[in-house]
Amino acid sequence: MFGWGRRRERLLQEFEEHVQMETAENILAGMSADEARRAARKRFGNTLAAVEDAQDVWGWVWLERLVQDVRYAVRSLRGAPAYTAALVCTLALGLGCVTTMVAIVESILLRPVALPEAAQLVQVYSQDDASGMTASAHALAYPTIDTLRRNVRGFAGVAGYNTMVHPVRTDDDMRVTPIVEVTPDLLSVMGLEAKLGRLVTPKDTDGQVAVVSEGFWRERMHGDARAVGSTIYVAGKLRTVIGVLPSGARVAPGTGEVIVYLPVVLNAKGEDEFGIESASTIARLKPGVTKQQALADAESVFAHAPRKYGEKQRHVALRSYLKLVVGDMERPLLALLGGVGVLLLIACANAANLQIGRAANRMAEMSVRSALGASFGRLLQQMVTESVLVSLAGAVLGAGIAYAVVGMVRRTYGGDFARFDELAVRPTVLIATATLAVLVGVLATLAPMLSIYRGIHAQFSAKNITRRSRLPGLLVALQVALTCVLLVVGGLFVRTLQSLENVRLGFDPHGVTTLILMPADRTQSPERSRQVEMELLHRFEALPGIESVTMQTSIPFSTYNMTLEGTTEVEGRPFHKDDEAFYSLVSTNFVKTSGIGLLQGRGFVQSDESAGGVVVLVNEAFVKKYLAEREAMGTQLHFHRGEGETDADLPIVMAMTVVGVVENEVQGGNLGAPYQPMVYVNNLQLPKGSLFEQLFNMAAQYAVRSNLSQDALAAEIRAVLRREAPGMAEMSLKPMQEGIEKSLGQRRLAMRLVGGFGIAALILSAVGIYGVLAYSVARRRREIGIRIALGSTRARAAGLVMQQAGEMVALGLLPGVAAAWGAGHALRSYLYGVKSLDPMTLALAGVVLLAIAAISASVPALRAAQVDTMEALRAE
Amino acid sequence: MTTREKQTPLELVQGTLDLLILQTLAFGKTHGHAIARTIERRSDEVLQVGHGSLYPALQRLLKSGLIVAEDGVSENNRKARFYRLTAKGRKQLSAESSKWERLTSAIARVLTPVAEEQS
Repeated sequence: MFGWGRRRERLLQEFEEHVQMETAENILAGMSADEARRAARKRFGNTLAAVEDAQDVWGWVWLERLVQDVRYAVRSLRGAPAYTAALVCTLALGLGCVTTMVAIVESILLRPVALPEAAQLVQVYSQDDASGMTASAHALAYPTIDTLRRNVRGFAGVAGYNTMVHPVRTDDDMRVTPIVEVTPDLLSVMGLEAKLGRLVTPKDTDGQVAVVSEGFWRERMHGDARAVGSTIYVAGKLRTVIGVLPSGARVAPGTGEVIVYLPVVLNAKGEDEFGIESASTIARLKPGVTKQQALADAESVFAHAPRKYGEKQRHVALRSYLKLVVGDMERPLLALLGGVGVLLLIACANAANLQIGRAANRMAEMSVRSALGASFGRLLQQMVTESVLVSLAGAVLGAGIAYAVVGMVRRTYGGDFARFDELAVRPTVLIATATLAVLVGVLATLAPMLSIYRGIHAQFSAKNITRRSRLPGLLVALQVALTCVLLVVGGLFVRTLQSLENVRLGFDPHGVTTLILMPADRTQSPERSRQVEMELLHRFEALPGIESVTMQTSIPFSTYNMTLEGTTEVEGRPFHKDDEAFYSLVSTNFVKTSGIGLLQGRGFVQSDESAGGVVVLVNEAFVKKYLAEREAMGTQLHFHRGEGETDADLPIVMAMTVVGVVENEVQGGNLGAPYQPMVYVNNLQLPKGSLFEQLFNMAAQYAVRSNLSQDALAAEIRAVLRREAPGMAEMSLKPMQEGIEKSLGQRRLAMRLVGGFGIAALILSAVGIYGVLAYSVARRRREIGIRIALGSTRARAAGLVMQQAGEMVALGLLPGVAAAWGAGHALRSYLYGVKSLDPMTLALAGVVLLAIAAISASVPALRAAQVDTMEALRAE
Repeated sequence: MTTREKQTPLELVQGTLDLLILQTLAFGKTHGHAIARTIERRSDEVLQVGHGSLYPALQRLLKSGLIVAEDGVSENNRKARFYRLTAKGRKQLSAESSKWERLTSAIARVLTPVAEEQS
């Protein structure tokens, strides 16, 4: 820059010498001094153009011009601080939101998982639900995994895993820890290598080894380099730690950092040591093999694989490992990205409007520059430079906002959703933002440039003509329409959350605490576990301040629920293939403790425990599906015996008699889920040796109804556990309502984000409406003055402005409502208890928009009413 | 915009202007004003050089190394930039002027009969 400056300086100096020589000659020729100089100048021509052309020869002028433009832009922006601040803030808001969302999408959906050649990892899963003993809905049976591994040529490796939690004891203490059970080649299929020691190999079939995650090694083994070779107890079984995985190696999604990996050891029945027959399946594609090729291959192998009954009608499918990790988050995230896109459009419209206003004020400057020889292209370059400069400033601020917000989201939700702990604003995102900012900057100059083009090509000065451009009004209408969409969608989410919070739970969670235990030693017999757990039940019931206690294999909002799905025959009703019901093992005091509504008959009573038959409760959904228009009481149910199954395959062989009907209760962890037919069996009545007895070796879930404070209750319960059942590990002890609250977390986050976008859009629109009207009033000052002078009232002058505002908003509301309906329709699967076209929400959004428009129009309107007639006329 | 229009005819003589400058400098180093004057005088004032447009041409020649510039003092004791032909410039001049002569004589041969017919 310095070089160019000197060259320019020297050229100008040389020109001056030239002109002086010419002047001297002219004087010698007899001209007067003045005349001589004028003639010399005329002879020389346009000095500035000559300098530019001469410099042009040396190239790099564009850069110099750019620097010049930037300098000029900074100077002129400094002269209009209010305009600059408004523009920068508008763009910072728009670009900040976009950067935040793009960073989130990049971190979660686009960024490959931190595994070698992660793009080649796929999940192989069955499209239908698995049956039999399984840990995942889409798991494949172990023999099927083996068949796929040996026969599908497109796969470099196929392996399986199951995740579970068990008590793990180290030298220091016993804690409930996530366990990932892996087939011997899983870790190598994933491309992992040991940080310390070695990984599992197919030779590790004795069930006595374990590999631990870096997190486990650090937290539970003190990061001791000699950890390899030491022993831990997993679910009561002694195991030798043979290796430590490197940090950040995530094998099974959703298991956190502290994990113990166990090699799968199958028994003669094809079950692993936890009684599970199937596993989630991961495969690595061979290089160059596409997913489609591999799938076709896998399908044909699967069709011929020997399968157990449960897998007969299933189809395999493939999806990328990344999809397995992020699960169902893709669509909501993309929808949110669409939301911020809308917000950016609103901000862009604001920027364009602000620039149109400024361009009009600079028309005189532009005309002068044009007259002095600046080409339109040169003016355009100057305008674009200024606009892009402001955009980039907005982008820098926006990136700052994004850093803060993304950091906050990571800290708040890092543990709750998959990959949220990996959230970061990465350089690629910043580059994208910068590109977007430049684009926005260029786009926002189009409209003002058009008016300047018209201005400098006009035959006479347009300074004194009040020409109303329709473009700013249209841009505001667009803003109103887009804001309407965001407000309505936000409103629909709020209504959804309200409906979910008011959902009829079917039970009363107030004063109920859930306690989840697990036998630390899995090798003890189920009978023994059952005995201990029943004793604990009675001990808890006898504690002071406790009203009643029940055990439940399925407690609403617990993460340790067992889903027991059974094909069920109802007496006097022909059996259909898919006649299934969900079973929950509960205790005698179930109805009292849960607070579930008893609609017919009775609950369990103590005398049932010693009676011969099995009595059950069913829910409304069961009655609706299987006992419609029939007397439910006394109906007999029994498990359906499938082809080739013996009594030993049935959990309960004898008939179960319905003695009561209870209300539907929310099952699992989703408030909006439809009710399923349920059968409640009293676990105190469960026949000895039933298949269900296995469940006592898994999580034991207690619901405790009490009026004690949470702390007092926890202290009481833990004292009992220490004294009576040191062999039971505590997995969770918390108020039931905490789980309900947590289940709404994802929806609450979505609502907060969309609501935030809506408010941001509202602010931007308000600024947009204000800006356009204020500018219009400033331009129409004289017109208004004349109107008042001619007898119009001040109220009418204000009305004029309000009318203009009304027109813009009305123009935007109509398409806005239509678009909002469309958006609501597209998002209908996320709504609950509210229709995509909700008149209440629409009306409310409309009223809010009108109110905001009225408020932002009132200031310019007031200004219009206060126009000084004399002053306005004198300016003529 | 008006300035742009004035430049248009100049561009036609661009290559020629370079040649004229080189030729002028063949007699020794001199400054911009003298170059302009010399061209005008030697062409009997037929060739009118827009003085301002002389400088881009000088910069072009400087850039291609056909001339060099140095500070000096003019005949009436003024500080001025003097331009001098380099060896490369001299070679270029002889090549260009012979090319130019061939070209003009060729054009003249083509144009002459037409001129005769007209007159």
